[in-house]
Amino acid sequence: MNYVPGLGIAKGMALTLRRFFAPKATIQYPETAPDQAVRFRGRLQLLYDELGNVKCETCFQCAQACPVECIDMGGHDTKNRFYTHWGPAETYAERREESALRRSGRPVPDPEYIHFDPIDMVAAEEILEARDYDPRPMVGLLEEIQRAYGYLPVAVIKHVSHVTGAPYALVYGTATYYRHLRFEKPGRTVAVCRCTGCLIAGGGRIAKDLAAALHTEIGQSPAGKVALEELPAHIPGAASPLVTLNGKPQPNVTAAGAAAWGRSLAGKTVA
Amino acid sequence: MTNVKVLETPVRWHRILLPANPTAKPADLDAALKAGAWAAFTRAVGDMSAAAIVGAVARSGLRGRGSAGFPTGEKWRACALAKSDRRYVVVNAYQSDPAVLSDRVLLETNPYAVLEGAAIAAFTVGASEIIVAVRAEATDAIRVMEEAIAASEQRGFLGAEILGKKLEITASVKPLAGSYMLGEETVLLKGIEGRRGQPEQQPPHPATRGLFGKPTLVHHPQTFAAIPTIIADGPGGFAAIGSKASPGTVLVQLSGSVAQPGIAEVPLGTPLREIVDLAGGILSPHTLKALLVGGPSGGILPAEAIGTAYEYDALDKAGAHIGSGSIVVVDERSCVVDLAAVLTRFCADEACGKTIPCRIGLRRMAEIGARFCDGQPRGDEITRLTDLSADIVASRLCDHERRSTLPLLSVVRYFRDELDAHIVRNTCPAGVCQSLARPRAGAV
Repeated sequence: MNYVPGLGIAKGMALTLRRFFAPKATIQYPETAPDQAVRFRGRLQLLYDELGNVKCETCFQCAQACPVECIDMGGHDTKNRFYTHWGPAETYAERREESALRRSGRPVPDPEYIHFDPIDMVAAEEILEARDYDPRPMVGLLEEIQRAYGYLPVAVIKHVSHVTGAPYALVYGTATYYRHLRFEKPGRTVAVCRCTGCLIAGGGRIAKDLAAALHTEIGQSPAGKVALEELPAHIPGAASPLVTLNGKPQPNVTAAGAAAWGRSLAGKTVA
Repeated sequence: MTNVKVLETPVRWHRILLPANPTAKPADLDAALKAGAWAAFTRAVGDMSAAAIVGAVARSGLRGRGSAGFPTGEKWRACALAKSDRRYVVVNAYQSDPAVLSDRVLLETNPYAVLEGAAIAAFTVGASEIIVAVRAEATDAIRVMEEAIAASEQRGFLGAEILGKKLEITASVKPLAGSYMLGEETVLLKGIEGRRGQPEQQPPHPATRGLFGKPTLVHHPQTFAAIPTIIADGPGGFAAIGSKASPGTVLVQLSGSVAQPGIAEVPLGTPLREIVDLAGGILSPHTLKALLVGGPSGGILPAEAIGTAYEYDALDKAGAHIGSGSIVVVDERSCVVDLAAVLTRFCADEACGKTIPCRIGLRRMAEIGARFCDGQPRGDEITRLTDLSADIVASRLCDHERRSTLPLLSVVRYFRDELDAHIVRNTCPAGVCQSLARPRAGAV
């Protein structure tokens, strides 16, 4: 029998009394910094704005910066094109494989996964081998892959991350940063010049009207629709405002007529 | 070759950057040698010590042409003193402003001046590699530059054994594409390394810790192109050109409502009026309303400010900057509020997204500008605008966000009447902002 009546409460009260006489540990934060473990980084938390939308825009910067690569991102990317959900290769290796549902051969009901259709990796493998699987000159690597495929298939980006060991966030972040790298097969593309001369001649309003008429935004190219882009530089000698369709200048597009022109383009795509 | 006109300048103005008589084959080394190319480099390598060259550059008063106007000599000294086994020299010819082609023209017409300046810099700071970063779209500039490098290597001005000495300086061209922000030096270095292009906190400046973590001298091609003249004619001769605080010449691209748009080489300190006159003045029958000085992130100066000297400090005081070297002439048909709003929107779209003041602050500024143009201002927008831009400037990481506040701020400063017409009277005096009423004829 080791049941002693009152022992429990005595133990509890002893702790309370010890704490009662111990020095008080109120830290005048933020004037005094609390004594924390060296690697303490606080708690990860997603913040919401005043309207209740989550503020994270899946830019992958925190995942890239995380020293222990513990951050995993999921969600639609900033351009609302892809559902991305990968952390570093070692932590989330299983997610790099296709799901059991997909391996079963049945049609996948989730339209988000259409982008990840199997792709012939031979060309990508050749490029990677020639570069000795070095992910450091990332832009050059992605440019070469784009030259081979015409665009950057997501499956190939995934493969690059897998075989080079570079976190997916790094590959994806670099690919989305540079505007000449694209994720879709190039289709019909309208490009607006936004140099100062064109902006004065109404380029800003043209961009706004075209975005509204094509139901898109600059930098977005939804599948099957007309892509709207920004020209990297004014074509020397071309008149302002400059709008191009598939690289050819369209001198007849003016600030007043841009909306109608955009609507006619969008209409043709549907038909 | 780039289809842009090089404007005639008065004979008394010095030509340092652009050749007075452009040749059909700018990469022809024999012709260039006859015209004096590589003479300054030969002299620097043969007779001068590194300290003497840095001293000459510092005494010449040359300031970096990439907008910030940092004294070139100090940058060289910092780079030469940084301890490292390897150093780089980078020519930042990316030129992000989509409307400006002056660096392309410089590389295409005078490749040896840029190359020679970069080689002198490399010799001085002890760098063994020169990287010329050019826009991938500028195919002619890339071709001319590559030809010039190959020809120089053949004659022993570049390569493993220079002028018979044990000295190694190699040069290469690096085409880059895909981001406006690549014009910023730390972003450019990331682009060359093949990484996502986002600026870095300075210091450490690239001069002490740059490309691949090694000391790197990054300059605008116009800075490099001035170096051979400084070495050949002595620092005193160069310091006498242009204004006292910022000597030398720069390339200016004139566009907008002018009779003859084009590129001109002007001494720093020239009044804006004389520069606009080079392009044949304002397009008749229109009247001058404003000058956009400095590209998309430049300041919108009123017609009265046309006497302002075109140099770093005077422009800074007036609320503009040299920026990309662009001057856009705006006539009475344009609405400055609309112009400032679309420019801010452009700058916000081009932000790399690394810092919050830039990514969100510039977007909020663009939204305020859009509300002016739509006639839906919320209470005291101007105070909110100035407060916000002060916060952005105070917490900036690179120069992009600091400069990007200039268009709207200069409208608040100089065009208050027109702004009030939008806010208070819901009219657009120029009749550009579509959702606002055009004032009746004769109405105030």
